[in-house]
Amino acid sequence: MIEDLGVKGAFASITGQAMLQALLVIVIASLIIVAVQKVLPRVAEKLGGKPRLYLLASVPLLRLLIILATIVIVVPVLVKPSFENMVAIFGALALALGFAFKEYASSLIAGIVTLYEMPYRPGDWIEVDGQYGEVRAIGARAAEIVTPDDTVVIIPHSKLWNSLIANGNDGTDNLMCVADFHLEANHNVSQVRELLRDVAFTSPRTKTWQPVLVIVFNKPWGMHYRLKAYPFDPKEQFQFISELTARGSAELARQGVKFVSVPVTAN
Amino acid sequence: MKDKTNDNKADSCLPGGLVPTEQWTLPQTSVRRSLKDAIRHALKQLRAGVSQTEEPFESMDELPELSAAQQRRLAPEPDYSHQAEAIACGLEQARSEGSLSRDVVCLVAPPFSGVQQALTRFSECGQSGSNESGKVWNIISPPDALLFDDQEASEWWDKQDLSRPWIIPELADFWLRRLSGLALVKELFRRIASGDMGAGIVGCSSWCWRYWGHYLESAQMSPWSPAPMDADRLGVWFTYLASGSGKSSVIARMTGDGLYVLPLPETDEAENSKSQKKTKYSNFLRDLAATSRGNPGVALAIWQRSLRARPDDDTKLDEAGDQSDTQSRSADCWVVPLGRLSLPSMPQSKESATGFVLHGLLLHNGLDTASLAVVTGVSAHELSLVLSRLKRAELVIQDSPGSDWQVTAIGYPTVRRHLQSWGFPLDQF
Repeated sequence: MIEDLGVKGAFASITGQAMLQALLVIVIASLIIVAVQKVLPRVAEKLGGKPRLYLLASVPLLRLLIILATIVIVVPVLVKPSFENMVAIFGALALALGFAFKEYASSLIAGIVTLYEMPYRPGDWIEVDGQYGEVRAIGARAAEIVTPDDTVVIIPHSKLWNSLIANGNDGTDNLMCVADFHLEANHNVSQVRELLRDVAFTSPRTKTWQPVLVIVFNKPWGMHYRLKAYPFDPKEQFQFISELTARGSAELARQGVKFVSVPVTAN
Repeated sequence: MKDKTNDNKADSCLPGGLVPTEQWTLPQTSVRRSLKDAIRHALKQLRAGVSQTEEPFESMDELPELSAAQQRRLAPEPDYSHQAEAIACGLEQARSEGSLSRDVVCLVAPPFSGVQQALTRFSECGQSGSNESGKVWNIISPPDALLFDDQEASEWWDKQDLSRPWIIPELADFWLRRLSGLALVKELFRRIASGDMGAGIVGCSSWCWRYWGHYLESAQMSPWSPAPMDADRLGVWFTYLASGSGKSSVIARMTGDGLYVLPLPETDEAENSKSQKKTKYSNFLRDLAATSRGNPGVALAIWQRSLRARPDDDTKLDEAGDQSDTQSRSADCWVVPLGRLSLPSMPQSKESATGFVLHGLLLHNGLDTASLAVVTGVSAHELSLVLSRLKRAELVIQDSPGSDWQVTAIGYPTVRRHLQSWGFPLDQF
C-alpha cells in the first residue's frame, strides 16, 4: 500500500549524507526545545507577576515554532519537495496516525488548538475532572498540572473536546479566593458582613483594588457566608484562604457568633 | 490642566503649585529611557539570584563625592516652612478661584514630597499659621495606641478641639491595618462626610489614601496634590534650594560630555537666541523627573547622590561660600549620568515577607518593629532578619533604635517597582 501511495518513490533519493544532515537538524532542534523548556520557566520564576505569566505562556508556542521550522528544514533535505512527494508523505503519515494512534493524534491536534484558543496556559490554575492545580507545562500531547499537594497530574489535551475545564485566573494574576463560614442563625447579619469585609481588607495578602465581597445565604441549618477576595499572587491562594478563615473565625468567636457543627458518622 | 492649576508656578519652593489629584500626570520620558529602565529592572531581578552581594549605593566613577558642606550649599534639604506658606497660598488661591469649596481639604502626596513636614509647620510660621479668619491652626496628633472600637473612636474625636481650623499632617499615623485599627479613620471620614468637622486640612500619604479609597468606595473627597516635578520644575527647585536667598545660581554640568544641567535655559527670547547657540543642555533633569516619577524628595535624594566635585575644586568650593565666583563659567559641580549611578537594589528573597514589610511601611508612612509585626503577620524573628537585610541594601532606615522604620527616599523607586512586580496594590503616583 505504501508503494501505491508513492512513498517509496518519494524516499528513493535519500542518501546517507542527507540522513546525517536531517539528524543533525533534529538533534539541534531538540536541544533548543529542551533549553527553552528548562531556561524560560526558571527565568519566569525570578521575574514574578505578569512577566512570569507571559514568559511561561510563550514556552509551548516557541516549541511549536521550533518543531514547524525543523519540519520545514528537514523535509526538503530528505525528499525532493515536489507536490506528488508531499502528498505521498503526508497522506501516509495521516493514514498511519489515523489508524494506529487515533487518541494520540486527537491529543496532538487538541494541543495545537490549545495554543490559539488558550483554554489554559502555564501559570494558570485549572480544574479538569476534579483535579485542581497550577499548569506547569504544556506538552505536544498533554498538559502537566501540579496540585496543591505537590502531585503532578498529566492531562491529555484531548480532554478539551469533551470535558469542562475551569480556569481560575485565565492568564492573569487575578484569582478569586473564597473563604466559607457556616454560622448559627440569630445574629446581626450586616455586622457580620462588615466584619468579614474588614477581615479581608486587613489581610496583607489582599489586592484591595479588586472587589471584596461578602455573600450570605440563608440555609435550613443557619447562615452560610462566603467571603470573596483576591490575593496579590495566585500562588498565595491557600495561605490567603487559611488566613481569612482563621482571622474571621477568631473575630466571630470574639463577637459571640457561633459556628454550626454537623454530626459526623464514622464507618 | 494649566487652566485649573493654581497660578503660583513662580513660587520656586513649590513649583507648579497644587493641582486636583485626578489631574496629576506622570512626567514624560523618552521611549529609549523607558525601555532601558524596564530591561535594567528585569536584569536586576534575574541577577538577584546569581549574585549574593547586597550592595547599597555604589559610586561608579572616579570623581569625589561632595563633602557635607558642599552638599549643604549645592543640594540642601528644603525649608518646609516656606513650603507650608506656598501650600497655604495655593489653597487660598484655589478657594478664591472657586475651584476649592470644601471645608475639609485633603492633600494627597507620595512619600518624601514634604507635605507632611510642611503641614506640621503650619502653626509655626506666621502667615500660614492662621487661616483667613485669623484663627491659629490646631494640629491634631494621633493617639499613642491606635486600636479602638467604633464607640471609643467616636469618643476620641469628640475630645479633639474642632472649634478652630485643624490640621492632620499625616493621616497614615492614625490607623493600623488590623481589625481594631481602622476605627479612627472610618469615624473621621464619616464626620467629614456629614460636615461635623468644621474647617481643616488632612495630609495623607498616597499609599494610605489609595487603601482608604478602596475601602470607602463611595467616599468622594476630591483631594489635591502638589504638581508633579517635571524637568523644568526640578531645575527651578534645585536652583532655588542651592541659591538660598535666591541671588546666586548654581552651575552643574554632566561629567561625561560637559552638557549643562543647571542653570536652566533662559526663557527670555532675546537672551535665549544668544545663549542657546553656545550652550548645550543635557536631558538629565527629564530623565531624573521620570525616574523619580515627579516626586521631589526622591529626585533630591538622587540629585544629591549624582553630584560630584572636581578633586582640585574641593577647597575652592568649600571656601566659596557666598562669594560670587559662579559668574565664571566653570562648573560649581559635576553630575554623574543616571545610567552610571547604581541605585539600591532589592535583595534576593523568595519569601513574601519582604513585600509585606515594605508595603506595610509605605501604607503607614513608617512603623516601629512591634506595629510592623502586627500589620504584616510576620514573626518577630523573621521580621528582624528581613529588616536587617533591607537596611543593608539601603532600602529602609531606622533613625534610632526603637523608632519607626521608613523606606529610604533613594530606595523608593526600587521598592515601588518591585511591589508592582509582585502584585501588591500601589499608589496612583
